[in-house]
Amino acid sequence: MNTATGIIKALNSGIKHLAIKRFTLRYPEEKLKFVGDGYQFDPSTGVGIAGYKGRHMLFHDHCTGCQLCSIACEGVAEAIAMVKVPEEYKHNKKAIMPQIDYGKCVFCGLCVDACPFYALYMTNDYELSSFSKEGLIYTPAQLQVKPFVSQDSEIKITNRGATHG
Amino acid sequence: MNNELPPGLALQKVDERIMTLNVGPQHPGSGHMRIIVQIDGDFIVACDPDPGYVHRGEEKMAEYRNYITNIPHLERPVIHDSCNILYPYVLGVEELLGIEVPERAKYIRVIASELNRCVYTMYWLAIYGIFLGHSTMFMWPAGDRELLIDLLEKMTGARVTHAHFVPGGVRNDLPPNFEDVCLRQVNYFEKRIKEYAAIFYDNPILIARTANTGVLSRQDAIRLGTTGSVLRASGVDYDLRKKEPYDVYDELDVHSNVMKEGDSYARSKIPWLDMLESCNIIRQALQKMPKSGSVRVKLKPNPKGKGLDSVYKRVESGRGSLGCYIVSDGKPEPYRLKLSVGSFRNLIALPYLLKGEKLGNMPAVYWSLNYWPVEADR
Repeated sequence: MNTATGIIKALNSGIKHLAIKRFTLRYPEEKLKFVGDGYQFDPSTGVGIAGYKGRHMLFHDHCTGCQLCSIACEGVAEAIAMVKVPEEYKHNKKAIMPQIDYGKCVFCGLCVDACPFYALYMTNDYELSSFSKEGLIYTPAQLQVKPFVSQDSEIKITNRGATHG
Repeated sequence: MNNELPPGLALQKVDERIMTLNVGPQHPGSGHMRIIVQIDGDFIVACDPDPGYVHRGEEKMAEYRNYITNIPHLERPVIHDSCNILYPYVLGVEELLGIEVPERAKYIRVIASELNRCVYTMYWLAIYGIFLGHSTMFMWPAGDRELLIDLLEKMTGARVTHAHFVPGGVRNDLPPNFEDVCLRQVNYFEKRIKEYAAIFYDNPILIARTANTGVLSRQDAIRLGTTGSVLRASGVDYDLRKKEPYDVYDELDVHSNVMKEGDSYARSKIPWLDMLESCNIIRQALQKMPKSGSVRVKLKPNPKGKGLDSVYKRVESGRGSLGCYIVSDGKPEPYRLKLSVGSFRNLIALPYLLKGEKLGNMPAVYWSLNYWPVEADR
């Protein structure tokens, strides 16, 4: 093929893209849509439920303080520490619950797989930045709160290219 | 001045024309490694690649963790191709523990690993574009990669480090309505990467830059032990998905792409052809996949191997054959784990390819080897 036609073809394919819609997501104003409420695990079948692996959510009324999540994390990130909680539950005799350090967590979700009591799930919350190292440590009381995550756009494929609509 | 040297000391002869140049480890054209080149004017006379700057001791770390907790850290060497680097490990552990994997899980693994191969190759292609000064080729693949990352995020719950494969299947089933979304986005992705031909692969400027540079002959490719796209660009038809099919690749129609030239152009085109082939494989797998069924075998909390045993498994990753050798002594932890990665095997061809090339051609030859510094160092 001669050089001139090749260069014109290359330029032409670039110029065609002037008419195509913008694909970039404008992040702080628009946010991605996820499937479901986050990664969960069903111990009865041994299979997880698809979802985003973000910040954890702890259900105080299910947690027995068995430390299985902490043991699962030992070989991975050592992010989970068991701490004393003021509340007293009949099923949690030792009154200990997981506290998660997001400076160490790698969001693999193996702690969720380890929990046999439906007490630890993951949520869609991924905006966890903090000004201090202490701010990254989430106590059991903070983990109990269900986060609000705005989700507005997902990928749409149109005749004029893909876009985050 | 006494001209006699002390005993045992020999001075190296200085050649006035030769200059030694360190490219890297901070140079953007080398990645996390150093390439020591000796140049005569503008021509490279000798080259000595110096990897090892990002060695993390993954293999030693694996001896202190059990078969499940090894999963998140073993994918760190290639986070863009994390499903493929876990694949041989998971296949090996399954053989050690004697687990039979459900049929649906095998198909999900094939889809995930093909999507991941495309994600890696798009990242590689973006960097190849910017190495050659083609900034459109940096922007397009970096943007279109998002289509597949979005699919993987829906499937596995994480955008880059998925930790999705486990011995006995996959962590979770596909989300509802995934097949339709996957098919739509993969079809659009295929249409998009076909557009790269006009702007990049058929571009006479790229052809002039990369054709006939760094030619690796068929004999040399076999003798040096290169794998993957480098081997197939030199005319050897060796694709592990076809030659040693693992999981369900024997039920799928896999076409391996071969080119005869063996130059940088062929080595850069083979991964692009592989991406088109990956789209085909994903479509076939979506069609043949059982619509329902189990995706994971329930394991005991600390699975153990049966006495002294060893296993070697390998898969075709984005960079070539990726092998995993596991020795078990009946404990929950592996006794020894060895990763044999494609990047390190392909790096050995670099001194042969760069001899006699111009210094300006170094990035074009180096990155066409499909080399990932972090994976080579492990």
